[in-house]
Amino acid sequence: MASRVVGFQKFGTRFLAKQAKRFSWNSRHFASQADPPKIPIDRSELGCKQPPLSEPLPGVPTPNYATVKNHNSETKYTVLPNGLRIASETRFGQFCTVGVVIDSGSRYEVAYPSGVSHFLEKLAFNSTSVYSDREKIMTELENHGGICDCQSSRDTFVYAISADSRGLDAVSKILAEVVLRPQISTEEIDITRQAIQFELETLGMRPEQETLLMDMIHAAAYRDNTLGLPKLCPAPNIPKIDQKLLFTYLKNHFTPSRMVIAGVGVDHDRLVESVQKYFVDQKPVWEENDELILPGSSLNVDDSVAQWTGGLVQEECEIPQFAGPSGLPELAHVVLGLESCSHQDPDFIAVCVLNMMMGGGGSFSAGGPGKGMYTRLYTNVLNRYHWMYNATAYNHAYLDSGLFCIHASAPPTHVRELVEVITREMVAMAGSVGNSELRRAKTQLQSMLLMNLESRPVVFEDLARQVLATGQRKSPKYFIEAIENISADDIQRVAQRLLRSSPAVAARGDVSKIPQLRDVQSGLMDPNGRIPGSRHRMSLR
Amino acid sequence: MAFQLVRLSSGTLRRLSKNANQAPLRWRSTAANPLIRDVNVPPTCITSLNSGLRVATEDTGAPTATVGLWIDAGSRYETEQTNGVAHFLEHMAFKGTSKRSQTDLELEVENMGAHLNAYTSREQTVFYAKCLKQDVPKAVEILSDIITNSTLGSNEIERERSVILREMQEVETNLQEVTFDYLHATAYQETPLGRTILGPTENIKSISREDLQDYIKTHYKAPRVVLAGAGGVDHNELVKLAETHLKKLDTIDGPVPEIKPCRFTGSEVRLRDDSIPLAHIAMAVEGCGWTDPDNIPLMVANTLLGAWDRSQGGGANNASSLAAIVAEDNCAHSFQSFNTCYKDTGLWGIYFNMVWNIQEAWKKMCTSLTERDVIRARNLLKTNMLLQLDGTTPICEDIGRQMLCYNRRIPINELEQRIDSVTAKDIMNVCMKYIYDKCPAVAAVGPVEQLPDYNLIRSGMYWLRL
Repeated sequence: MASRVVGFQKFGTRFLAKQAKRFSWNSRHFASQADPPKIPIDRSELGCKQPPLSEPLPGVPTPNYATVKNHNSETKYTVLPNGLRIASETRFGQFCTVGVVIDSGSRYEVAYPSGVSHFLEKLAFNSTSVYSDREKIMTELENHGGICDCQSSRDTFVYAISADSRGLDAVSKILAEVVLRPQISTEEIDITRQAIQFELETLGMRPEQETLLMDMIHAAAYRDNTLGLPKLCPAPNIPKIDQKLLFTYLKNHFTPSRMVIAGVGVDHDRLVESVQKYFVDQKPVWEENDELILPGSSLNVDDSVAQWTGGLVQEECEIPQFAGPSGLPELAHVVLGLESCSHQDPDFIAVCVLNMMMGGGGSFSAGGPGKGMYTRLYTNVLNRYHWMYNATAYNHAYLDSGLFCIHASAPPTHVRELVEVITREMVAMAGSVGNSELRRAKTQLQSMLLMNLESRPVVFEDLARQVLATGQRKSPKYFIEAIENISADDIQRVAQRLLRSSPAVAARGDVSKIPQLRDVQSGLMDPNGRIPGSRHRMSLR
Repeated sequence: MAFQLVRLSSGTLRRLSKNANQAPLRWRSTAANPLIRDVNVPPTCITSLNSGLRVATEDTGAPTATVGLWIDAGSRYETEQTNGVAHFLEHMAFKGTSKRSQTDLELEVENMGAHLNAYTSREQTVFYAKCLKQDVPKAVEILSDIITNSTLGSNEIERERSVILREMQEVETNLQEVTFDYLHATAYQETPLGRTILGPTENIKSISREDLQDYIKTHYKAPRVVLAGAGGVDHNELVKLAETHLKKLDTIDGPVPEIKPCRFTGSEVRLRDDSIPLAHIAMAVEGCGWTDPDNIPLMVANTLLGAWDRSQGGGANNASSLAAIVAEDNCAHSFQSFNTCYKDTGLWGIYFNMVWNIQEAWKKMCTSLTERDVIRARNLLKTNMLLQLDGTTPICEDIGRQMLCYNRRIPINELEQRIDSVTAKDIMNVCMKYIYDKCPAVAAVGPVEQLPDYNLIRSGMYWLRL
């Protein structure tokens, strides 16, 4: 509160100018301008006459509560004649989450300019055949206490709405409109181009690197094919993507057999009825109007299987630092990836347990016990090497392949050591597994699964994705038991399987000290995880 | 498939669930009896023990649960000399007890796949655990152990001082938090609500074991504690657990300290720093306390102004006309209206990066509003409040907070009815009561050279023509 400076004069002129402008706003909105309200003499009389919030409001009907006993949640499925699948579950609560999940995303963009999915994600919930602009959709949602979102991942599009269950029909209508009958006007495309440009710029200015690194590690792992194609629209493609291209993509990928409509907290029959009305009886806009589509194009669905190639993707650049006196140095980021397996593979659960056992996180993360403080990346890495800022394990699973990776960051001077340490930890995954660490990882995975499923939108996504992949939902109980059955041998087996793949490496920042890819590969094959040329002390353990 | 869950990264869902979620009630139009309404949520069960400790639960039968201790104590109860103690105690919570060392505690929690957390506000202190259903008894035992048997070892205290000082540095980089601290400092000057939660550096450096023990003795008393639970919790079991593990709280004697009213002062504080890119300003009038019925219309008024930031683009699809104007004129980076309540007072206002229009919008709310605007705001407010109640932790927090604020949990249909009964006239009434021609408190940080001086701001609170 030191300096009190008031730049009054400079301010004054601008203020007057603004006031003049504001006047027109006032007159537009002031319905009662002719007869301005009186200010009461005694304002203490004003205010709400209801009893305080600590006391019941008289005349409110007595609530008849639901109880656990009279509540049952079962999954119901319907397949419509055109191949569209519908699944739903009931649930406590006045709200529902309903959405459309589509087998579509950047992995299918090989014949298209990369970025089509990124555009479609940004264009979601804009004008449609029935709703002339976004505002109309938002107003309709507001009436039902709803919010909406669209997210695309490499292999899935999710359009979802959470709203009052009583608005189910309206919600279904909005979903059908935005998925099957968008307008994608020139103006909307322009706004989307700006938004994507802005997003790319923002990503470049932020110290957080996860989004960029995930695209890079996938590009290294599946070079130039399917899952390796970028999720973020490359800047040169921004002007290239236009309405016809987008509609052509939609026509090929947004087909009934590639779609699941799922609802949680809804009545199944009512959902089916609404879906029939808006998704089937009313046709997609591209079927009604041929002119929207690129003529004679053969931009069909790419049905190739993901090919793991391994390799290095490296970007030398300056990485923005965190603002303020956080005391963090400039950081360089490295992600080391190995091929894991599909989510339909028998080894999938074991890889998830392994992922949990590796755990990790940031060296300064907040929160009490329970954040994985005794996982290997904490005990063996973050607690031992003070220069390591972050080390976290991830597993990305897809229908035909999977990527297991560890993301680590440290000052540029330690990039070589960083890779040595992470390589050694990866090799150690195939070594002995302690009973208590395995037990802990299994329990943590089970509790994480169940805790995530507390949230209705997560249940929705789980239901929809499972049905999309296999036609039905395996219950949480199935996964809990499958996790329980994982043994130390399973962990070693899958770890050995991972280590047989040729490594993928992504590096960003000042990463000039990174070891050669072939050295990392030799390191992963060395029983002690020793990278050729590393100093002797590194292999002590 | 579990793979999505395991990955934890499904952004859609996180975004949807942040605002959103669940609460209850499916109405059937066929309900024969207008005095009974079906509500599609489980009831909240409440039991008061002889000691005065309250147990409140909502059993959803989930395989997981959140249980926690909500304590009616926070930095408001500190003196100038002890400011920072409540927060210091929160930090000491996970540093070991007479029964378990810090490592034992950490391993025990990690091995259960549970999470332990704590936070301190000006009026409340909270310790909670999220765990599997079958671990609820153990979680309650651990929480009880933490608040009744904390070791408060001198080595740990010394170590924690630097951790808190570091946290303070981090808070200082968050200009929104800084601005709100200044707003409290000026609006509640010379009263305990004016002080920060972390406390001044000299206190953090000097707080002693005795200070911490004193605070526990004075404030952690059974009548001021609520054991709340949501998810897979059995009410009777929780009552028994409270009787067993929280007995120690009854034995602490001495009266419950009385709360002194905190005076609101219309005033301002400016911290000019031209090296900061944007001005951060908070402006508020005195609102009302938690239980005041005016709170509901004030919340609707608050929703009417809404919030906006640049990434939302044109305010066209924003219910708030203020947002539309700000977006069109490009005169602010963001704004966010707020309604912060305390027991007997509150701050109703707006946080923003530049000044224009806000006072005009405030006055408009005192004098002319359409029912249509109000209906939109009511719908949005209900969505914001109800959609959030998804998952055991948000529900448990709602129970704990409401028990401390209202000594009951407001039935969901009553809350809806209270919100639905707010008309445009009611809002104009409360705005006339709380805003029109009132002295605001203003806190401004950053390049604030162009902020009008206080007298001009004050004169913006009324119209000459009225």
